[in-house]
Amino acid sequence: MLRKQRDVLSVEWIKLELIRTAYATRGGMFSRRDPRAVLVWYLIMAFVPWFTHNVTVLAVLFVIAAIGVFLARVGPLVLGLFIIGIGFEIFYLILVSLMFGGNLGTLAALGVVNLKLGIISMASMAAFVSLDPEKLSDALLAFKMPELFAFGVSYGYRMLPIMVEEFNTVFDGFRLRMAPPEKRGFLGWRTVVHWAKMAILSFYPIFLNTAKNVRTTVEALETRGFTYATVDGRGRSIRLGQMRMGTVDWLLLVVTVALVVGAFAAGQAWPLYR
Amino acid sequence: MSAIIEVSNLSFRYPGAEVDTLRNVNLTIERGDFVAIVGGNGSGKTTLCKTFNGLVPHYWSGDFAGSVHVDGVDTFTSSVAALSAKVGYVYQDFQNQLVRPTVRDEISFGPINFGHPDHVARTAEVITSLGLEDLAGRFTWQLSGGQAHTTALAAVLALRPEILVVDEPVAELDPARAHDIYQRLRWLNEELGLTIITIEHHAEFIAQYANSVVLMSYGAPVWHLPVDEAVNRTDELARHGIPAPQVIQVGRGAGLGQVPRDIPSAVSALQAAGVTARDLPRPPVSRPATDVVATARGVRHSYRSVGGNLHTALDGIDLDLHAGDRVALVGGNGSGKTTLLKLLSGILVAREGDVTVDGINTRTKSPGKLAGTTSYIYQHPQQMLLKDSVRSDVALFPSGRRMDGWQELVEQVIERVNLSEFAERDGRTLSGGQQRRATLAIGLAMRPRVLLLDEPTSSLDVASREGVTAMLADLSDAISCAVVATHDMHLVADWANRVIVLEQGRVAADVEPRELFAQPELLARVRLVPPQVAELGLALGLEQPPLNVVELLECLQVRERVSC
Repeated sequence: MLRKQRDVLSVEWIKLELIRTAYATRGGMFSRRDPRAVLVWYLIMAFVPWFTHNVTVLAVLFVIAAIGVFLARVGPLVLGLFIIGIGFEIFYLILVSLMFGGNLGTLAALGVVNLKLGIISMASMAAFVSLDPEKLSDALLAFKMPELFAFGVSYGYRMLPIMVEEFNTVFDGFRLRMAPPEKRGFLGWRTVVHWAKMAILSFYPIFLNTAKNVRTTVEALETRGFTYATVDGRGRSIRLGQMRMGTVDWLLLVVTVALVVGAFAAGQAWPLYR
Repeated sequence: MSAIIEVSNLSFRYPGAEVDTLRNVNLTIERGDFVAIVGGNGSGKTTLCKTFNGLVPHYWSGDFAGSVHVDGVDTFTSSVAALSAKVGYVYQDFQNQLVRPTVRDEISFGPINFGHPDHVARTAEVITSLGLEDLAGRFTWQLSGGQAHTTALAAVLALRPEILVVDEPVAELDPARAHDIYQRLRWLNEELGLTIITIEHHAEFIAQYANSVVLMSYGAPVWHLPVDEAVNRTDELARHGIPAPQVIQVGRGAGLGQVPRDIPSAVSALQAAGVTARDLPRPPVSRPATDVVATARGVRHSYRSVGGNLHTALDGIDLDLHAGDRVALVGGNGSGKTTLLKLLSGILVAREGDVTVDGINTRTKSPGKLAGTTSYIYQHPQQMLLKDSVRSDVALFPSGRRMDGWQELVEQVIERVNLSEFAERDGRTLSGGQQRRATLAIGLAMRPRVLLLDEPTSSLDVASREGVTAMLADLSDAISCAVVATHDMHLVADWANRVIVLEQGRVAADVEPRELFAQPELLARVRLVPPQVAELGLALGLEQPPLNVVELLECLQVRERVSC
């Protein structure tokens, strides 16, 4: 088979998708909202499903979360992984319930839990795909998280593309220089083992290189007042002062609460339990 | 002028170290000066600069004796935070200095941390004065080297320091960018009155931009002199690993006493002294164009960006590489050099067109299978140091493929790059030059027909750079064709017999080094800075630019003998 440059389902594509997801480059409705509103929206959607077993309510919530995913312009990689995950979940539930002498009833009961998990997964996708590192760390500060934690989150995001790139390079190095297995083995298991081995070995150089690079980072943070800001509160209040809850932000929360209340009302009218 | 930094009787020893890094330093730096601090590796340049902003002794708390006063403040009783408002510091590995996701945020980070209510104005001011408007919204990991350096500089300037320390700006940047950075520093010095301190190995930059020079040796300044006097102390500088600028070397060789630092004044000084230049016959470098080792036919390649657009890297490349070719691949950043190397190594395959190496189309084999035919050496050595010792790194390829007599091969190769005594060390603990030689050994142990190197001399001091260049020249028997992507025109002049100039993904010229340096307008267009001797030679009226000091002196000496 001849090698070709691929734009989808390649390592390059995964790298780009990770960055697009982390940095909210696709835009979407939530990325224009105040980050506090987005986090509150997420918390509502993540908590409410646990207070009911009513399938009608859950179905409406599922639709709301799905609309959220649509409005947030979630990318194909994350969405694809979610759908594959749900698919496997259903497949193995059928398998397990049949193996242990269950019937469709058990399947439905387990299905309810999965519906809840699905709602929460979709809400997290919609919210976190839309928050770039700055917004997320500011929102965490606003919710009284420690400075160090908020900074850590945004620094983690900044390191992500660099680490992914570095992993890619080191992994390529192993691919070029480590001899591949001579026989592929049954279903290519030797190849799979070889790849897993290279992935694990790749961490050694990456850790050492990162440890070396971070020394400069720590000194630079010191000279730019990072420690100073954790003692002196003015920096924090400047950061928090930059956020504004606008009309649309409040509207988002009001509409969400109204929809959730509506969902429960619908549940009262047409209850469905499993 | 008044003193802004006063160091008296300063000694410092890092915790756990056996010797003092700084010994009894006495130094005064005037307000508004542009100081270059020079000296060999381990002479204490960086440590000295870290005493100015209090990192020594407040962050690195070792044995500290003596005193440092910055703008009247005793650093020992002050703090890093307070001193940072006076002293800005841009690191050698400035990429690691960037901690925030976007450029604007990176710049406002300092002012916000210190709680300055005018942080918006400060950020805006720095963005305008450094011309960063277009980059302000960019993510810091998207920046090129030069842009990242400017961002690091901007972030430091937002704290409005009076002193700016810049550690080896040239190391990680191509020469044209480095000149941009230096011009910017000169502007900050002349227009805004900042005191600039740079740590620098390259005499050409010192001669061109600095006002005074501090030579450090064994933890103490040897002297602090005005630049004219300093650069003319050629022997002393050379002893400390800083060869004089080529202009000075030529002037000295031609018998001038005090040599001017820049090319136009050197030309007039030489002419005033009655020296003229005459071309000597220079036969073309032999390039036996017989045995074709690698080809590229109609190669086009592009990358997808985060936004989803395609960015063209290579746009129609047709090339034949022959046995015996020593190719320098030159061109500005983003001209497609690295992409072409990666295509030739088979790590990537092109979107259009075909690349063959040793008769094999790279589409037909996996990169792992091609690695023994064509090997690629990355720009950053640490990305190639995968194992815990140099020997096992070199052995990784030949031992895995069970090559005949691989043990001897590994020893031979390590011997060849002079790393025998370091073979058991982790490559990461070696110096920059040793790391490059280790990666060279890794490449050689793969026994390739084509060896591809990406910027093998970047971020090396002059002495290690010459070591690597000499080693490359020495390898011609082991590999049939070597391709080096580089910005280093000294490497091009000393080593290459063929130069391929890339411009926006196309071959703009395929010439010999001497022909390249004879085309100033092409060089300027692709942002290359030729060696000083080539420029000086042309300015003296030579048709064929000389490639090194010796060649130029030959041209001058001929005339002198006639006149005598």
